[in-house]
Amino acid sequence: MIEHFDPRRQANSVDFSKDYGTPSPIPNANAAQVTLEIDGITLRVPEGTSVLRAAALADISIPKLCATDSLEAFGSCRLCAVEIEGRRGLPASCTTPVVEGMKVTTQNERLARLRRGVMELYISDHPLDCLTCPANGDCELQDMAGSVGLREVRYGFTGENHLDAAKDESNPYFTFDPSKCIVCSRCVRACEEVQGTFALTIDGRGFESKVSAGQDEAFMNSDCVSCGACVQACPTATLMENSVIDHGVPDRSVVTTCAYCGVGCSFEAQMKGDKLVRMVPYKGGDANHGHSCVKGRFAFGYASHPDRLTTPMIRDSIDQPWREASWEEAISFAAKRLKAIQAEHGRESIGGITSSRCTNEETYLVQKLIRAAFGNNNTDTCARVCHSPTGYGLKTTLGESAGTQTFDSVMKSDAIIVIGANPTDAHPVFGSMMRKRLRQGAKLIVADPRRIDLLKTPHLGEAQHLPLRPGTNVALVNALAHVVITEGLEDKDFVAKRCDTDAYQSWRAFISEERHSPEASEPITGVPADAVRQAARTYATVPNGAIYYGLGVTEHSQGSTMVMGIANLALATGNIGREGVGVNPLRGQNNVQGSCDMGSFPHELPGYQHVADPIARGRFEAVWGVKLDDEPGLRIPNMFDAAIEGTFKALYVQGEDIAQSDPNTQHVEAALRSLDCLIVQDIFLNETAKFAHVLLPGSSFLEKNGTFTNAERRINRVRKVMPPVAGKQDWEITQDLANALGYPMNYAHPSEIMDEIAQLTPSFTGVSYQKLEEHGSLQWPCNDEHPEGMPTMHAVNFPIGLGRFAITEYVATEERTNRRFPLLLTTGRILSQYNVGAQTRRTDNQRWHDEDVLELHPSDAEVRGVRDGDWLGITSRSGQTVLRARVSERMQPGVVYTTFHHPGSGANVITTDNSDWATNCPEYKVTAVQVEKVSQPSAWQQRFTSFDQAQKGYLAKAQQEAP
Amino acid sequence: MSTNNDANLIRMTNQIAINLGSGRDEDAAASAICRHLETFWARAMKQRLVASLDQADNELSPLAHRAATLLATRLAERQAS
Ligand code: SF4
Ligand code: SF4
Ligand code: SF4
Ligand code: FES
Repeated sequence: MIEHFDPRRQANSVDFSKDYGTPSPIPNANAAQVTLEIDGITLRVPEGTSVLRAAALADISIPKLCATDSLEAFGSCRLCAVEIEGRRGLPASCTTPVVEGMKVTTQNERLARLRRGVMELYISDHPLDCLTCPANGDCELQDMAGSVGLREVRYGFTGENHLDAAKDESNPYFTFDPSKCIVCSRCVRACEEVQGTFALTIDGRGFESKVSAGQDEAFMNSDCVSCGACVQACPTATLMENSVIDHGVPDRSVVTTCAYCGVGCSFEAQMKGDKLVRMVPYKGGDANHGHSCVKGRFAFGYASHPDRLTTPMIRDSIDQPWREASWEEAISFAAKRLKAIQAEHGRESIGGITSSRCTNEETYLVQKLIRAAFGNNNTDTCARVCHSPTGYGLKTTLGESAGTQTFDSVMKSDAIIVIGANPTDAHPVFGSMMRKRLRQGAKLIVADPRRIDLLKTPHLGEAQHLPLRPGTNVALVNALAHVVITEGLEDKDFVAKRCDTDAYQSWRAFISEERHSPEASEPITGVPADAVRQAARTYATVPNGAIYYGLGVTEHSQGSTMVMGIANLALATGNIGREGVGVNPLRGQNNVQGSCDMGSFPHELPGYQHVADPIARGRFEAVWGVKLDDEPGLRIPNMFDAAIEGTFKALYVQGEDIAQSDPNTQHVEAALRSLDCLIVQDIFLNETAKFAHVLLPGSSFLEKNGTFTNAERRINRVRKVMPPVAGKQDWEITQDLANALGYPMNYAHPSEIMDEIAQLTPSFTGVSYQKLEEHGSLQWPCNDEHPEGMPTMHAVNFPIGLGRFAITEYVATEERTNRRFPLLLTTGRILSQYNVGAQTRRTDNQRWHDEDVLELHPSDAEVRGVRDGDWLGITSRSGQTVLRARVSERMQPGVVYTTFHHPGSGANVITTDNSDWATNCPEYKVTAVQVEKVSQPSAWQQRFTSFDQAQKGYLAKAQQEAP
Repeated sequence: MSTNNDANLIRMTNQIAINLGSGRDEDAAASAICRHLETFWARAMKQRLVASLDQADNELSPLAHRAATLLATRLAERQAS
């Protein structure tokens, strides 16, 4: 008898390219091990494992069709039948759990006959066009027919069948061909269990049964959000990516990380030669465990879009056509200008902006270029406009500028508070995980002006909505904390052991004041006091309460205060330092966490080390070989002010579109126009690039090596799958610019940059490419103390020792409604588009959202005589723009909503200069506006269109003239 | 244009003062605000703010004024050292 027991392989060496048939039982250190025998092999597996999975772990493959290891076993196809000693019949191995001492036989004549019979039935209703089928070579039905030795189909194909059922080609990314469906229901279960959308059903019974989207609708008209989970789960060609139908089955694959949102999903980029055929979510991805959303899964076509910039361009002024240049010429043109400007206007007259879309290594290099080669600290990043208050607020209270948990932690939460975030749209894969937990019975509390989709999701526990007025977050969080303290719900033990007593006592006195009670706050927030009391009790009394928040928290004049208010609430209830709890910012862009970690902010060197700290600065000076400025530099809004004033003259922007994404567009445009040298490095001619003098064509995430860090501090590898379109990876361009400025940089590979980061950043000392290769991913801090990284933070103590409560006085925003501007505009995003949309607008994701619209409540629409689809002029104190109306019950009366994915919409023409008091993060979420019916685009939009056309013309001309 | 920038800096200082002011006595509040400016503001911004102390009608709130004055002293000390 062969002893088959290798503890390592059972513990952690799962092969993610293999399908084990059923999911692994919930990992539990105390789970008993069960010993059983399969085909004479003795093995030990954790309790709760299915016989099918146990066999697969021992490399014994049992035929199967309706089972796959991303879904709970269903037991419908009967192909996986086995014989078990002492049991009658032939049980399905996928639904049979292992039992101590069990003896299983997977192959004998009786089983073979049964399986052939099953296959024969399936095949009799299946077209025999394998050779021309897009799934040829990648079809489980085909494999199974082979594996059970099917040789004949006795029923013939003349009986009733589904062979000419019509295809559904409504979705731009995949096709549903029902003639090939074997009704295994894997797709239906994937949509429910993995995605949580419940878009698919099996209609009818018996022979009549078939898969359908919604009420027999086309996929595009159903609730389907095109996540791809059903396509992934389908064992046949019934649900198939169009790119595979067009190009054939890929032949090699590279694991990399999605470059869209802060979830940071791992994907296999599946290639045919240099052609990317499809992106398949990687089961071994620690953030996504094999799930994906429509952006990462399907919207990668932008990388090969004809609009990609392929050659550097230069010009003397922005009303001139572009001229194509060689890399050397463009880089030296840029360097000369930067030097001349510094000579004339001083060292501090130039600066740069790092990208939250580029890699850690690239971001690190840009801030190094600014600090070491420009000689100042005028570096900032787009996190300024999204999560800078998170950095400030969490560092002040908990001592570290990052979320405290892993995504998986939510599976242990009993109550989940979601504030100012819309995970099902903005962080879809995490949203799916959250929904799974809600279906298991966790309670949900949503604090948001809108009724977000999460509230509609099927759930077992209660769901509470606190529909607050935009701009009153702090009043609400104070009221919640007031209830916790005055009703004696705080975790006294935790506070005594883990928090600074003085800070706690003064906060306690402050928050206990009657003016913070839910009753006193109701007139401010608009949320009924009872609802606030109930929510506070729910959060404070469950074993594990977790808070997730997004830009609806940070993008306010009191964004930083609100982040501290959230931390106060978590500290007071002891919801910090273990799984299932915590304070979790949901980050917008893929590498916002990374760009903050890498020293993008003007006051902090990499690893959040202040520039005025002589010891930290000294270490950087020693390695970089230059003297560094000990004063913080300008932040983005300060740069704009200084540019308009004439003291700031040149800017190097890597992979950000500040002209579209930053508030008060007309102010930003004025600032950009007043620059003498604007260097834009991007993959497209974005809005900012239209004001540039030097255009350096960047590379997409598919064309580079590096790392991204997601919202759970997880460092993931980005791997190059194709050569850069314009010849250089972004870090190479920055390096060239540094060299041209006379500051030498000589990295041969991003891994060398990471080694330097590890050397200088205390929370990264244990990170290297080799270790990432071994572990797949690492969550910082990763150093001598935590060599494998740290999934849950603050378990034993805080980086500042004790947690610090902060006084969070509510201060109303200056942006108030009045007679002239009676409505509050708040902004957000939707699933199919990403940020400024430069990528997603160049894909079929346009089919879901091809323009930004203004959502308003029926009552606000009615008094203005507005109907769905009307053109609406939206006017604020900053400007005016025109959008189409969508009348929606999701809004509360008095609040209107739009997105900013399309440049011509000019959503940011109306947003104001107001910003967070501590970090200058703009107050995107509150703008007082008036709305009225109009018949033509706004003046800004008309100017935008003509400027846009002129600039595109300049580019087209240069491209035509090029030899 | 430069007056515009000054007005902006003053507005920002007032906003910081309101937010850091509560729950502290005035001394502690002024030094917290001053520390905030030292930590986060660029050299030029600090200098501009200090310079605006000379203008009688600078619209700084009393607490913000006190913090800016403290900042002026600390900048001068740093320069001297
Ligand atoms: S693509 Fe996703 S949402 Fe659409 S039907 Fe499939 S699993 Fe459901
Ligand atoms: S579409 Fe695919 S996954 Fe869904 S029931 Fe048919 S064969 Fe199974
Ligand atoms: S966009 Fe976000 S959720 Fe979607 S696949 Fe990419 S990382 Fe995952
Ligand atoms: S795989 Fe077990 S019944 Fe289908």
